[in-house]
Amino acid sequence: MDRRSFLKWSGLATGAAMVEPGHASERPPPARVVAPGGQVAVITPNGVTLPMKTSGKVKVGHLIAGEFEHEFAPGMRALVWGYNGRTPGPTIEVTEGDRVRLYVTNRLPEPTTIHWHGIIVPNGMDGVAGLNQRPIPPGETYVYEFTLRHPGTFMYHPHFDEMTQMALGMMGMFIVHPKVPVGPRVDRDFALMTHEWRLDVGARRPDPNEMTDFNVLTFNSKSFPATEPLLVGKGERVRIRLGNLSAMDHHPIHLHGLSFKLTATDGGYVPPSAQIPETTVLVPVACTRVIEFIPDEPGDWAMHCHMTHHTMTQMGHGTPNMVGADTRKLDHRMSRVMPDFMTMGTQGMGGMGEMEMTMPPNSLPMRGGPGPFSYIDMGGMFTILKVRDNPDRADPHGWYVHPAGTVAGPANPQQMTADGIDLSDGKPER
Amino acid sequence: MGTDRRLAGLVLLLGLGAPGCVSPSMQSDLARVRELTHMPLPPQLAVARDEGTGFPEEVRQWLQQPLTAEAAVRIALLNNRELRASLRDLGVARGQLLQAGVLPNPAVEVELRQQEDPGLPFEPQAEVRVEYGLTQAVLSVARARAAQRELEAARYRTAAFVVELGYTVRAAYYAFQAAQQRVAIATQALDAFAAARDASQALFEAGNIPELDAATQDAAYESARATVAQLELEVLERREQLQRLLGLHGEATAWTVTETLPRMAEQEPALENLERKALTASLELAETQHRLEGAAQRAGLTSVEGWLPDVSVGVIAERKSPVAPAHGEWEWGGVIHFTVPLFDRRQGTRSASEAEFDALMERYQGMAIDVRSAAREARNRVLSTYLRARQYQQVLLPARQRVMRQTMLQYNAMQIGVFQVLQVRREQLDTELAYVDLLREYWTAHAALEALLAGRRTGAPLGPGSGASLAGGTEAGGH
Repeated sequence: MDRRSFLKWSGLATGAAMVEPGHASERPPPARVVAPGGQVAVITPNGVTLPMKTSGKVKVGHLIAGEFEHEFAPGMRALVWGYNGRTPGPTIEVTEGDRVRLYVTNRLPEPTTIHWHGIIVPNGMDGVAGLNQRPIPPGETYVYEFTLRHPGTFMYHPHFDEMTQMALGMMGMFIVHPKVPVGPRVDRDFALMTHEWRLDVGARRPDPNEMTDFNVLTFNSKSFPATEPLLVGKGERVRIRLGNLSAMDHHPIHLHGLSFKLTATDGGYVPPSAQIPETTVLVPVACTRVIEFIPDEPGDWAMHCHMTHHTMTQMGHGTPNMVGADTRKLDHRMSRVMPDFMTMGTQGMGGMGEMEMTMPPNSLPMRGGPGPFSYIDMGGMFTILKVRDNPDRADPHGWYVHPAGTVAGPANPQQMTADGIDLSDGKPER
Repeated sequence: MGTDRRLAGLVLLLGLGAPGCVSPSMQSDLARVRELTHMPLPPQLAVARDEGTGFPEEVRQWLQQPLTAEAAVRIALLNNRELRASLRDLGVARGQLLQAGVLPNPAVEVELRQQEDPGLPFEPQAEVRVEYGLTQAVLSVARARAAQRELEAARYRTAAFVVELGYTVRAAYYAFQAAQQRVAIATQALDAFAAARDASQALFEAGNIPELDAATQDAAYESARATVAQLELEVLERREQLQRLLGLHGEATAWTVTETLPRMAEQEPALENLERKALTASLELAETQHRLEGAAQRAGLTSVEGWLPDVSVGVIAERKSPVAPAHGEWEWGGVIHFTVPLFDRRQGTRSASEAEFDALMERYQGMAIDVRSAAREARNRVLSTYLRARQYQQVLLPARQRVMRQTMLQYNAMQIGVFQVLQVRREQLDTELAYVDLLREYWTAHAALEALLAGRRTGAPLGPGSGASLAGGTEAGGH
């Protein structure tokens, strides 16, 4: 199979994957080579790659902007806008030097355009409504055609009423593999878009007018526990491409269990001499950041935005600070006023996600997800990096089985005594 | 002596003891009033009652269970002293009727004269003259007819009083019921304020809010307490108002009423031909009509009196003096006495009577206009209160319940806190309060309309309650 036919095959394969959107495969897709030098295809967790046909020497793709219902996580659905029935839209994946012809059909109630964020294109293809082109009227199809002259991790999004259209979910990743691989070959290549939304509890459409108070934070428009984990092999070289088209917030993405290096931004590659080790990468608004690492410690590792409210799905801001309050008198009183009322938050909010309370429809406030030991009380911009010895045979939904004696547990009193830890007065040591 | 005492006792029994009996005329007045009002006026109403006899047995029985509006009206009909007095006032008109029909007394004149010759033994001349006023006797029949109209007018007046009393009792009853409900709702709201105060106190003690917030909630609670105290006074005042109307005192004041105002009928009230019905039923108009007829008869009478000479006829008997030829014998003769209506033809009185009639006629016609207007007003009030109360019942209260349910869901989702939950609860209670006021307005308007159709315009319905709001302002809602 020569390279051309291989590329064609891979395009068909991703096209087939698009037939059933949202269905996570039981096993991770085998690392497929799609670019010279054995560069593997990008995996978009919870997402797909845009199928592209080759017409002559041009790769042809079709994006259809429209409205649809999206499930952020089981129990939280909303009407959003996106491309090809998805948010983020399909990841566009090409190789440096490729010429692409991208048809954009507008099925929105208002005009739109697409801006190819970070990609250097002829000015008339840059997609800024009014400046570079007429906006695409509803019902019409425009075509963009340009050659990818620089490799890198880019994004795409509308540049007409972008406040509304991006707030409602219109964005996607645009990956341009280099003709000649840069740096060591990676085994896994993931694309994750961070995003923030305002979806009022019980509402059915995100609010594009919100400027500061976002309550649904997502990786590839999914909130944990709906975020698809990243399954990688121990010792494999892993690349994660992070893109941020949030309205207002940067996201400090923190990975557990390893350190990584920042190898590229949307401006280009970071020279190896400038790649400093990190465990958290700040992904600013409108930027991409590419990190690479080789995990050597197997396990289930948290990967999340370190802004604590960004890992709280539909965090409630209206509750007063109840921590430490003695509410016995209040509870007694409330039993007369509102028998259904239950005081919450006096001992912290860790257990909120597990409380079985009637909720407004289409909402998932304060929810996390199940873990192998107990409830994981984080939600939102949270996913799991699953490092396995044999990732291709591992169940991506299974939990890491810890070797005996490697899980933190209750302390042994004798050992505590032997170690000089005395809690006999019931107070912590000072 | 003993005989004299027995006789005195008999006189007392007949004279003073008589109020204990029911005169047939009072029973007939009562029967007529009952007929005019279609109200179950008990026969005992015609029996005078003093304090010593206590309350009638029916009243005792009704008071033993929670009163309904109907029972309250029945008690008032038996026990309201003003009504009893009003019935006795009919006696005045009846007395005047009786007096008007009485024939004039004959006039008797006896004249004794000494003889002219003082030498004769004393044997006076005597003359006895008996006269009877024919004109007055004839006119008494006409006067009795006019007085009969007055009596009938008085009966209508009493009937109107009965109808108005029924309305007033109902209005007071609904006012009391509503006041009770208002206090019950306000007490729940007070609990909500207390809960907000408790919550803010707990949060302040935990160090989570500044003292300002706790003080604000405390102040809101104390304000609500003052409101509840005001509403409690309203209950007591409404109770006393009803108490007075029912004529209750002493041990009989421990009555209760059914707890809540009745629900309205599902069907919109049918209010057709109200003006005609009100005109036909109007006791005021009927009363004035009888007074007009009376006045017309009086005016006619005055007119007749003006040209009719005052004629009296009589008999004269004279006993002559001793020197007279027919000494010692009575001589008989006749006399006719009349006035010549030359100057006093009762012009002034006639003019006054005619003016009185004309004034009454103007009032009668004005009253008819007013009754029509009252009918439209009553219809408007009933319809408006019905529609508004129904909107509360069917739309607004369920909407508030929905807000409450959704508020609880938002609370469960930690989107809002306890203070907002309590604020919404108080707003819900405020709506319930407004609904109770509307329901009371409706039933009062309904009673007024019934009174109108029973013949009596009533005064403007009692205004709404104190109008206190329970929701509290934003100061009570924050945290």
